[in-house]
Amino acid sequence: MTEDAHLVDNVESSQSREIFWDKDVYNLELERVFGRSWLFLGHESLLPKPGDFITTYMAEDKVILSHQQDGSFRAFINSCTHRGNQICHADSGNAKAFVCNYHGWVYGQDGRLVDVPLETRCYHGQLDKAKLGAKHVRVETYKGFIFGCGDADAPSLEEYLGEFRWYLDTIWEGAGGGLELLGPPMKSILACNWKVPTENFVGDGYHVGWTHAGALGQIGGELAGLAGNRADMPFEELGFQFTTRHGHGFGVINNAAAAIHVKRDGWAKYLADTRAEVGRKFGPEREELYVGHWNCSIFPSCSFLYGTNTFKVWHPRGPHEIEVWTYTMVPRDADAATKSMIQREATRSFGTAGTLESDDGENMSSATHVNRGNITRDGRMDSSMGVGFEGPHPVYPGIVGSSFIGETSHRGFYRFWKEMLDAPDWAAVKANDDNWDSVFTNRDYWADKIEAAE
Amino acid sequence: MSVKQISVAQDVHFAIEAHYRTEVRLWQTGQYREWLKEMVAEDIHYWMPIYEQRFIRDRRPDPTPHDAAIYNDDYGELKQRVERLYSGTVWMEDPPSKIRYMVSNVEAFDAGDGEFDVYSNVVVYRNRRQLEMTVHTLGREDKLRRVGDDFQVFRRKLNIDARVTQDKNLYFFC
Repeated sequence: MTEDAHLVDNVESSQSREIFWDKDVYNLELERVFGRSWLFLGHESLLPKPGDFITTYMAEDKVILSHQQDGSFRAFINSCTHRGNQICHADSGNAKAFVCNYHGWVYGQDGRLVDVPLETRCYHGQLDKAKLGAKHVRVETYKGFIFGCGDADAPSLEEYLGEFRWYLDTIWEGAGGGLELLGPPMKSILACNWKVPTENFVGDGYHVGWTHAGALGQIGGELAGLAGNRADMPFEELGFQFTTRHGHGFGVINNAAAAIHVKRDGWAKYLADTRAEVGRKFGPEREELYVGHWNCSIFPSCSFLYGTNTFKVWHPRGPHEIEVWTYTMVPRDADAATKSMIQREATRSFGTAGTLESDDGENMSSATHVNRGNITRDGRMDSSMGVGFEGPHPVYPGIVGSSFIGETSHRGFYRFWKEMLDAPDWAAVKANDDNWDSVFTNRDYWADKIEAAE
Repeated sequence: MSVKQISVAQDVHFAIEAHYRTEVRLWQTGQYREWLKEMVAEDIHYWMPIYEQRFIRDRRPDPTPHDAAIYNDDYGELKQRVERLYSGTVWMEDPPSKIRYMVSNVEAFDAGDGEFDVYSNVVVYRNRRQLEMTVHTLGREDKLRRVGDDFQVFRRKLNIDARVTQDKNLYFFC
């Protein structure tokens, strides 16, 4: 790891403003972050039958995700190997084959090139179709969530999620049914750097009371007290923040899972009915997490709010723009009426016209575009909230911050982002596995706190 | 829709177009509470479904109100959206943005019992801050009910043309 602290300073907890603006930084991100990470592609529930497909992105690469006859999933670059044309222009569907519009080259469900018009007469038997299949990317799934990776040397998806699975299992497996995604996704363009919403979801409990004051006041419920930061509450007893080895992290507000949902009877009942089983399987700490509200990002560009149950992918489109895709997460084994109401409430709050979504957009675009200014860009951003009030914990994996309003998981996200930019390959990343969390220097924070409480 | 539906008489058509002009004026001047109270029926279903881009041969049915939708609101939910705008804490709308509507191609049909099926096209221009300008085109399918000497909408389906919204949000009434 280099010691250059210009882009990200893990000691001072600051970042250069160039990270939201510079084209050079973005190009390096495409290569070293997006090119080497596991990126969310879809969920099994979005393409349940053999032949089902969806088209999506891995950063700026267009990808077809295809359900194979044997039940597995494959993903390949959505570009014809002849002259490069995009192969498939539909959002989703079921196809025996994909036919390029340009010259009619035919690709199978698995991406192999299976037919070429006029092949015998025009190619004189010289075309090696086996070498001209669509370019594949690695595909692996975890609890129904499907990810793709463009780096043959990257660790498996399970290793990449790492100890974050301890947390994810709480909700992605839950009492047994786990989660699924409901589509089709809403899609919108937001003029911001992709890291702005990712950092917001991974660890910004701070903005909730101020940015969303108007919406929270209307919604009422558990979080209404946060509106306008008027709440007189002991923040340290209301939740935590977490960051893990590969930058995945979240903040949790205890007992607030369904807080943003106005019509929540079905969802609240589902949680009440299943929490004991989650506690039995995973223990009391995770039972508590199960009924909390999570703001979460999976490194690099996939975020969700568990409880509110909105699920987002921030597809980058250059350094200053993203395409936002919004799905809804629902328990697989909930009844249809409950799933439908969760979807309606998640969309009402964080869909394209959502009451809370509509508060966030301008913050994200202005935090990006002010850096057009030369004097502005030659400056830094601060994320020091809660430094020292965090550390390794006897129960929770990773690094644990003392409050859901803090910037522990924010710092953890940028710590790993810098590590990926600096590292020439995954071997160099793996070399840091034993000391990655040394930037969180208060090693005894939780031991002292727990001892003091006893 | 069928071309054999019964078009309304000229005076009714004029009254419906005048109703739409009033609706637009209320929105453009920020009189959302007045709009909701006077022009929206309490049994409203206000709906903007999501249409995927699918192959013509794709046999899957069109979206229903049980599927993903950008708007899927009843009266209470619309009221919540309206009241948020009066909270004084919607920082994105302070200073306020400007919005301009063009409603055209109004076709109105008599559905009996004082109800009307009305189709129209809507273009929405939003100007925000110094330079932000966005345009949205929509097809609108209304069911209006005669209330006194005016109308109230009790079904509104908004078919937005863009698959990818080229705007921060779609938080406007239409």
